[in-house]
Amino acid sequence: MNLYQAVIIGGGPAGMMGAITLGNHGVKTIILDENESIGGQLVKQTHKFFGDHAHYASTRGFEIAQKLDEEISKNKNIEVENNATVIGIYPNNTVVYTKDGQEHKIQAKKILIATGAMEKQLPFINSDLPGVYGAGAVQTLMNEYGIMPGKRFLIIGSGNIGLILAYQLIQAGVEVRAIVEALGKVGGYDVHANKVKRLGVPILLNHTIVKAIGDESVQGAIIAKIDDKFQTIPGTEREMVVDTIAISVGLTPLTELAEQAGCKVEFIPELGGYVPIRDERMRTTNPDVFIAGDLSSIEEATTAMIEGKIAALEMARDINGSDTKEEIEEELRTLALFRSGPKSVKIRSGLEKMGIKISIPTKPIINEKKEDVIGKLRAVLECDEEIPCNSCEASCPFGAIHIGENLNSTPVLDAEKCTGCGTCVNACPGLAIFMMKENEEESTVTLGIPYELLPLPEKGQKMWGLSKEGNYVCDVTVERVVKYPNKTNIVYAKFPIEFKDTVRHFAFPKKESPIVCRCEEVSLEQIEKVIDSGVTDFEEIKRLTRVTMGPCGGKNCKLVVLGILSRKTGVPISKLSHGTSRPPVKPVEFSVFKKGGDDK
Amino acid sequence: MKSNASVVIIGGGIIGTSIAFNLAKLGVKDVVVFEKSYISSGSTGRCGGGIRQQWTSPMNVRLAMRSVELFKRFKEDVGMDIEYYQGGYLLLAYDEKEMADFENNVKIQKNEGLDVELVTPKEIHEKFPFMDLEGVVGGTWCPSDGHANPQIANIAYALKIKEMGVDLNTHTEVKGIDVQNGKIVGVETDKGYVKTNVVVNAAGGFSHEVGKMAGVDIPTYSERHQILVTEAINHVLDPMVISFKKNYYVRQTMHGSFIMGQSDKEPARGNDLGHTVEFLEEMAPKMVHDFPFMNHLHIVRQWSGAYNVSPDAQPIIDEADNISRFIFAVGFSGHGFMLAPAVGEAVAEMVVYGKSKTMDISNLKMERFKGKKISKERNVV
Amino acid sequence: MEGRIEQHPILQFKRKKKIKFYFEDREIEAFEGETVAAALHAAGIRVLRHTPNLGRPAGLFCAIGKCSSCLMEIDGIPNVRSCMTKVKEGMRVRRQKGKGDVL
Repeated sequence: MNLYQAVIIGGGPAGMMGAITLGNHGVKTIILDENESIGGQLVKQTHKFFGDHAHYASTRGFEIAQKLDEEISKNKNIEVENNATVIGIYPNNTVVYTKDGQEHKIQAKKILIATGAMEKQLPFINSDLPGVYGAGAVQTLMNEYGIMPGKRFLIIGSGNIGLILAYQLIQAGVEVRAIVEALGKVGGYDVHANKVKRLGVPILLNHTIVKAIGDESVQGAIIAKIDDKFQTIPGTEREMVVDTIAISVGLTPLTELAEQAGCKVEFIPELGGYVPIRDERMRTTNPDVFIAGDLSSIEEATTAMIEGKIAALEMARDINGSDTKEEIEEELRTLALFRSGPKSVKIRSGLEKMGIKISIPTKPIINEKKEDVIGKLRAVLECDEEIPCNSCEASCPFGAIHIGENLNSTPVLDAEKCTGCGTCVNACPGLAIFMMKENEEESTVTLGIPYELLPLPEKGQKMWGLSKEGNYVCDVTVERVVKYPNKTNIVYAKFPIEFKDTVRHFAFPKKESPIVCRCEEVSLEQIEKVIDSGVTDFEEIKRLTRVTMGPCGGKNCKLVVLGILSRKTGVPISKLSHGTSRPPVKPVEFSVFKKGGDDK
Repeated sequence: MKSNASVVIIGGGIIGTSIAFNLAKLGVKDVVVFEKSYISSGSTGRCGGGIRQQWTSPMNVRLAMRSVELFKRFKEDVGMDIEYYQGGYLLLAYDEKEMADFENNVKIQKNEGLDVELVTPKEIHEKFPFMDLEGVVGGTWCPSDGHANPQIANIAYALKIKEMGVDLNTHTEVKGIDVQNGKIVGVETDKGYVKTNVVVNAAGGFSHEVGKMAGVDIPTYSERHQILVTEAINHVLDPMVISFKKNYYVRQTMHGSFIMGQSDKEPARGNDLGHTVEFLEEMAPKMVHDFPFMNHLHIVRQWSGAYNVSPDAQPIIDEADNISRFIFAVGFSGHGFMLAPAVGEAVAEMVVYGKSKTMDISNLKMERFKGKKISKERNVV
Repeated sequence: MEGRIEQHPILQFKRKKKIKFYFEDREIEAFEGETVAAALHAAGIRVLRHTPNLGRPAGLFCAIGKCSSCLMEIDGIPNVRSCMTKVKEGMRVRRQKGKGDVL
């Protein structure tokens, strides 16, 4: 049997950070991970993380995983065993796992379990139908494999995962019809909600899904309003045409291994369900077993990493007597800071049930806004929510953004100091900072917005200015596009000044285009596009788009198509060639001709 | 329209546009194409869209094989999806004599390196259980044969050559070729005159008439072939199926419709492209017999197109011997679409280098008809 | 190929070698490193099995090996988690109907 000083089960953010910390303190460590590569859920996260700069704020999840992975592969004390599925923890700290169809056993002085969580189920009629996925499954397919399981999505649950998923789906080019939320308010951060709202995704509060529609696979969903007892209100049911439903109604810790290892668990809903009881330094009721990350409480990857670090520091102290006391104190302070905001009320009360009290170092404050400087290109901070993040403050090269000691405080701009460089717009994980400059003499305003979609607008293009709720406000003209290596680009566009507080997103005009040819389902837009590409001969348009080539033989649409062509080219219909009518005038079955003609 | 051209191509069908595409690719500037109607108005836009390599003449096999290579790259090279699908071609035989012919053909085709095989009725049944094979004694099967949408292919070439700088003039009819002392000096159209020393006749159904404009008697004529298309249904039929005996070909397009046709007993000559109900009456029983699922399938449209026929049913690609730089690529006898990529390449090379380089096509010259026994391509519906 | 994202504002998908496998005897293209479930989704196939008792269609649900929704018959072996099994050249994948046979 192989002996290790420490074994870490699960190579997600908590496990990776734990391994790096142990390795740095000279502890021989092995990570067992079920997947082909480590990184856990980080590898599917394309959004930038909140937090402070010391903890990877403003870095995208998958990039954090890459960085941690690099550190791990450089560290000689750490071994990584991929494709290793731990099947049990047995007496004497024996961890048994399978790999390539083979049983393997290892023993360790200390065990860190960082198995994370899985998604909660939500039973509704036909929730077992193909096309209903956990949100994580959609993220796996989409962001790990680059495979899109549907075209039109309905998302159940407006927590951060549901909101982020909606944004990621739109980035990948598909449609999100709605997010339904049972509660009367959005579950996740406002900034995440604002990101999807201004892209036009409605968040339907006090709504639930009643059933999925479809025989073999999802073809629609029935949603309905619910009352304050979460009962559907009869008569409010309505059908949505979607082909995929993603459920994101929360996560629950995967406690099985911890339980097998003799760790006491308790049901603490605030932390996500059953959780192992542990002390402030992540030690469970089994003194050799530590936990970290979502297994200890459903939170963010940032706190998972800090917990992994704290657990590892304590383990290193046990294993080789490393003096980690001060480091632990420091990490505990950071963790407390992260949990000191109003968004962490639940976590704090859950931990309190376990006897862990978070001492809030300084209270977060809503910083008072300073006077704006009209007419100067400057940042506009629309982050009014106390979330643990200071990436804007840290990113500003000119010290123009102030948050203060507690990173849950809201940021405030000193417009005098702001040079209009846009660095904070690019850094903000919530995409909640904009650039603005009023052009008084021409009664316009120039707005710069963070832009993470394809295609990237180009200078001179006309776009739509959308409101915070994603509604059309006015046309805008793109002035310039600043590209950044981290792919949060800034698009500047100009529009009438009266909309300066209304417009917060630019979108390419999306005309709902009527179907012109019913037989072949050809839209007006398709026809216009072909004409715009230089094909102005009716016969060629017909062959490229199939208009008039369906079973009706063009009876329904030919005149319309000719009308479109005439309008676009200025050639009167009478001067256009309109094709040749061919028999049969109506579709006729082969069987009609089977016996040959009968002369009358 | 330009007033000077390095090359004038007469005909904006698949052959003409393919030649223009290849000329532009070779860097030839000032190429001018004249099309008297719209793109794909002629035989290209009317054809069945099959892409077959199973021919009886080695030259046709080689040209078709080269074309398949180029069709595979078409989307990359020309920039449009033309619904190209390698679903194979199944040729059906009904008696021992026909089967013996097939065996011989397969030998010729294999000799050229084609992946083709003889198949028994049982093997055909296993592949296509929905077919009624009554009377079938065997067949040949080439999996790399296939089909594409000829209209889109033609328009794809047209859009691409415009982008490459070719001056493509639709609705412009060539009225005369100006020849002086055995040399071409220009081309007269209904929209004006263009000076040039090189003319390519790619006029399809009108190849003979265009030849006459320069005083060259090209032994081609046009005949009418009828064709029909059905409504679209979900994909069932992979290959193009041909029965010479029963006189039909049929394929399912990627859009889902079935396209099929036959040769009329006495095909009408010329370019008068009408259609007859007899065509439907003749097609329906044999199609429903061989493909019973078609019984309730709806016919949506029928039309016809011209085969530009040469004496041996093989293309004539040559340069006139009495007029310098009058090149023709004509007489494709119903299979011009499928050969177009390779022909375009070869003819462009003839224009630029004096002879084709990629393939030797010298036995497609007109001299093959002079006083010699004509060996005819037999695999024609 | 249908279902695969070709362009993305943030991510670049480095696909490995193209391989072929069979779903219900139909040839499907995939890339090495993809799971069976992912490759089937790329080909537009979402129904992965029919359940034993109610005969209901079922598909991918958690994608991380934590549920049983995606069990399929792979190379003759029933009840294989298609979300955790990497697709291999020539692999034979079938929709599992019911409980699956071992003989």
